[in-house]
Amino acid sequence: MISLGLIPLFPLLGCIILGAIAIISSGSKKGPAEGFVGTLAVLFPALSFAGVALLAFNMPDAGIRETVCNWIDIPMFRVDIGFLFDGLSRIMLLFVTGIGTLITLYSIGYMHGDRGFARYFAYINLFLFSMIVLVLSDNLLLTFLGWEGVGLCSYLLIGFWNKDLKNCQAANKAFIVNRVGDIGFLLGMLCLVTIGGSALLNYDALVNFIQMIINGNHLEVVVPVLSVAGVLFFIGCTGKSAQIPLLTWLPDAMAGPTPVSALIHAATMVTSGVYLLARLGSMFAILPVVLDIIVVIGMLTAFWAAVAGLFQNDIKKVLAYSTISQLGYMFMASGVCAFDASIFHVFTHAFFKAALFLGAGAVIHALAGEQDMRKMGGLLRKTPVTACVMIFAFLAIVGFPGFAGFWSKDLILERLFMNCTMYIPGFTIFGTEVPSIPLNGVVYAVGLATAVITAVYMGRLIILTFFGSYRGSKESEEHIHEAPAVMLIPMVILAFGAVFAGYLWADSIGIKFFAETLAPVVGAAQAYNVPAVTAHLNPMIFAGLGTIAALLGMYIAYKIYANARIPAAKGSSAPEGGKATWTFLFDSLHKYVGIIPVNVLAWICDVVVDKILGAAQWTIGAIATILGDGAATFQVRKVRLQIALSILGLIALVAIVLLTGGTF
Amino acid sequence: MELQAIYVQILALVIFAIGLIVAVSRRNVFFVLMGVELALNAVNLSFVGFSKTLPADASIVGQVVPLFSIAVAAAEACVGLAMVILIFRNRESVDADTYSNMKG
Repeated sequence: MISLGLIPLFPLLGCIILGAIAIISSGSKKGPAEGFVGTLAVLFPALSFAGVALLAFNMPDAGIRETVCNWIDIPMFRVDIGFLFDGLSRIMLLFVTGIGTLITLYSIGYMHGDRGFARYFAYINLFLFSMIVLVLSDNLLLTFLGWEGVGLCSYLLIGFWNKDLKNCQAANKAFIVNRVGDIGFLLGMLCLVTIGGSALLNYDALVNFIQMIINGNHLEVVVPVLSVAGVLFFIGCTGKSAQIPLLTWLPDAMAGPTPVSALIHAATMVTSGVYLLARLGSMFAILPVVLDIIVVIGMLTAFWAAVAGLFQNDIKKVLAYSTISQLGYMFMASGVCAFDASIFHVFTHAFFKAALFLGAGAVIHALAGEQDMRKMGGLLRKTPVTACVMIFAFLAIVGFPGFAGFWSKDLILERLFMNCTMYIPGFTIFGTEVPSIPLNGVVYAVGLATAVITAVYMGRLIILTFFGSYRGSKESEEHIHEAPAVMLIPMVILAFGAVFAGYLWADSIGIKFFAETLAPVVGAAQAYNVPAVTAHLNPMIFAGLGTIAALLGMYIAYKIYANARIPAAKGSSAPEGGKATWTFLFDSLHKYVGIIPVNVLAWICDVVVDKILGAAQWTIGAIATILGDGAATFQVRKVRLQIALSILGLIALVAIVLLTGGTF
Repeated sequence: MELQAIYVQILALVIFAIGLIVAVSRRNVFFVLMGVELALNAVNLSFVGFSKTLPADASIVGQVVPLFSIAVAAAEACVGLAMVILIFRNRESVDADTYSNMKG
């Protein structure tokens, strides 16, 4: 049995070695040998994946707990560096390290010839290290360390090509928006420490604490404070997982290299919010208000991002909005306490989204950096493997029966309908009683509508990219080539995952392996919430409706885009007019709610602190100078006279003291 | 006849006054220094004179302090003379009244 501490250690080691290589070779013209660096870069994540796999098969049901050492030990506050490997972290780690390894492998092909080759892989390893720490830690503070590390690495990688100012701005935006969420996380931890001391930061202790409250019927005492903590943690999650209102950084994060986008969207970073919700599931389960907020936010995010995805021309931007939309689904599922379903969707989404991003990267690679879908088309014949991978992943994301997304998305939709306890309370108007209206149908309908829109924009992406005829320039057409094998192999593996990952929990055909794995972690939390609909409904109805939604969306996309004339691309690929208003809704919201008030505050600080206080300081200084100049005129030119004067002064002082009897 | 303590004090006062007057009235900087030394030693004398008034075992304390101040005065005289020499090299003059460039 290997130690849990080894798993994060491997990528950290990789980061240090590759970082050293990057620094040493920074002076040379040619840079380090790519084969050597690439091998090292893949080796460490692969070792860590092997370790996780080894542990995963030998894991006892209760999980493995290991305390490495003490971290902080001051009065009233004690935190250990400890790792927890249970059903939830097992699944997360398996795909974080597994897909992380595949993406690293793919990057060797994608980053070929880049000057920052070694630096890039050092960042990637650091990214994986942070994510592993985030998932594997057994307390919130260590999770927060990973949480921050992930934010830092996303900053480094989004702004990887830092010669371009726009990339740097995108990196700054990602970092700053994430910091806003991090404040929520920090304050949430503070709330927990206020309630029960630093021991509550430990996940096991928190679960026991919640259980104790439920058993002792102290809910009404603790729930208000816990609700505050829950909302704060949720703000943290919205920052990391790009939910309303902190979602604007994710589309901008497309400025980084495409494998980085795949890493951020599939395996690491954005999944951490969903992970935290599931990890704190037992706490969220007793906070109905917070759960309702999560459902509403998830619903709005899913719908808004799906519509925004319709308007994008940049192939990566479409995928970015689709990620936000899918994360909305996961949050909705968390909001109805279906944590296993949300983690399942994280799991399947990791496969098909990674496949889609890597496929998009291969397309961009083939077209020598072109990202505008209006200049693509007909790539099915030119790059058949990439096209097949993308189409499989497309079928998975729209929820085509049998593919991975079908199982997870239908599960979420079903749970939304069955478990959602939100309702508009009954009220009396003009003497008539209006009964309370349950909202589970509404939530379900929005989820289904989002599924239709998902199919439309993803269908649009596939049709514009792979079908029709090529719309770019003639000379660029000749250069189109399939990606090298080192890029294709990870894509094909991920495409297999996109097809078959769903069979780990195929509810309709009776396979529940995934649910059983997660049951020890989230089972109690889910059992606490009573389903809204107790009547037994045939799950086939939900599966059928989901399938109809997917087919309808694909049909609409076919009707609109298959034979449409695509307007020639002019200028930037950003949407214009009303589409832009919708897409940048939250950017402008941030501008008016966040950026402008902060700027005003900064202006006030500048004027009050810098100018007025500065003026006051200057005045005092000037007075002192004037007084000093005045006093200096008493100084005479002769040293002797001065000594005589000071002796006289001394005599005068002594005389005064003597004559007044020392009263002064 | 026992030496009266008050006579020692009067002598010290006279020497101190001479030292001060020399330091203030002479323009030659060497004489200024000499005057300062004189005043300093007058104070030492005053110390010893007062120590005579104490009982025998305690009077030793009053005699130790002048020993310290003599040692310090020796060091101070070294520094003072060195400074005077340096100033003289700069200004080609030993007239204390010409040393006025510190005036604000």
